[in-house]
Amino acid sequence: MEAKHKYAFYLGCIAPNRYPGSEAAAIKTSRKLGIELVPLKGASCCPAPGAFGSIDLNVWYAMAARNLVLAEQMKIDIALLCNGCYKSIWEVNHKLKHNDELRDGVNEVLKTIDMEYKGSINVFHLAELLYDKNIVGVDKVRDSVTNPLTGARIAVHYGCHLIKPRKDREFGATEILDTEAPTWMEELVGALGATPVEYRQKMQCCGAGGGVRGYDIVHALDIANEKLINLQEVGVDALTDICPFCQLQFDRGQIEIEEKFGVKYNLPVLHYCELLGLAQGMSPQDLALDLHAISCEPFLQKVL
Amino acid sequence: MARIKGYPEALETKLRDRYMYGEDAHPEFTDTVEKISMTIPHMCYQCGTCTASCPSAPRSSYRIRKFVRRALLGLETEALTDPDLWLCTTCYSCTDRCPRDIAPTDVIMAMRNLAFKRDIIPVNFLKTVQAIYTTGHGVPNNDVNRAARVKLGMDADPPTTHTYKEFIPGIQKILDYYKLKANADRIVKEREG
Repeated sequence: MEAKHKYAFYLGCIAPNRYPGSEAAAIKTSRKLGIELVPLKGASCCPAPGAFGSIDLNVWYAMAARNLVLAEQMKIDIALLCNGCYKSIWEVNHKLKHNDELRDGVNEVLKTIDMEYKGSINVFHLAELLYDKNIVGVDKVRDSVTNPLTGARIAVHYGCHLIKPRKDREFGATEILDTEAPTWMEELVGALGATPVEYRQKMQCCGAGGGVRGYDIVHALDIANEKLINLQEVGVDALTDICPFCQLQFDRGQIEIEEKFGVKYNLPVLHYCELLGLAQGMSPQDLALDLHAISCEPFLQKVL
Repeated sequence: MARIKGYPEALETKLRDRYMYGEDAHPEFTDTVEKISMTIPHMCYQCGTCTASCPSAPRSSYRIRKFVRRALLGLETEALTDPDLWLCTTCYSCTDRCPRDIAPTDVIMAMRNLAFKRDIIPVNFLKTVQAIYTTGHGVPNNDVNRAARVKLGMDADPPTTHTYKEFIPGIQKILDYYKLKANADRIVKEREG
């Protein structure tokens, strides 16, 4: 299929450097849905909104603006697959477009590296593009499935920074603006043939953000553990996310939770792009699922 | 301008002081926090919806409502030296639910910015700065991951600053513009020797 939509693929850090299968899956699955993702050469960390925002918001604006300018120079919108990156790249773009004083300040810094932020492009999360009928839509996602994940019970972790704070956000599909009890991701999970599962406190944070995972890991893990308890209560075969940092917190976090709290869940955690890859016929090897800290085998046996 | 209600003079003075600043208050702190955060903690009526929405509250002494109050009362030192300041996961649930349209999360971010000016900052934040200064990435690539990428048919390094290292000096220039790397190195050295 010829690509109808083309985006600069902003990678961030954790997807390419810890879960490269998500990056591979994003590129391959998007192509089947009419989206071409081209490399955003020279992009850096978004930078991490928790760490940099806490230290000095001005540095956060300037560093994110540099990534935005790279896409502006290509005259092409950005697509990305991480909620944390969305917070930095989308939100700084939004702020600089609407605040002249901020933009002038950022451009003064960027001038020292011969760059200028113009505000000429837009930023999207892949999950939002997949759901948006005007770009892909749930029906097209369903039509692309060759290996339905029938029989698998899958819960969704939405994460925070794609959708919150709601009052700042703008989405093509207004369903995404529901931050209390959204179901659009469940629709996307259902489109793959799996059974989406609801659970208590679905919208709670993973606990990793704001630098807390580095500052007080037991505190951060305790928040993730509460969600894992709630997930265990309803019984799921896998948890899916749209943020590699949440994924890291739930996947590697389960190993740390076992060490620190002595409880074991063995719950496979997959980025939605990885699930979509499996449903479109990619193999676990194509997705480097062996890099996950928690084995995906029990889940894979159910769906392959 | 406070209305004159005919109370004794001391009470009139107190009523004119809308923020009830005490002796240990820094009234300019309220303004500074509002400027950096671009939100309005002075509108807070202390309903506690923020603390009730906070995933950190049930497992610590961190109370976001208290920090918003400190912003309003100008209690700068009390706010910036409280270690609970660093327990916000920035999930923005409080911001979503605040009935006064305040962004308490951004109040916390502003306070953290001001704390950093006093060298109050957990070391892990600074290590992220150091990693980005050298590689462009907060979480850089490693050998296990490089091998996995090659097996996937991808380049060992992603097409970011990892492959295009010529972009790193630009990043260093931005960080140096704010003296961030020098400050990070200095504070990490002071803490860890």
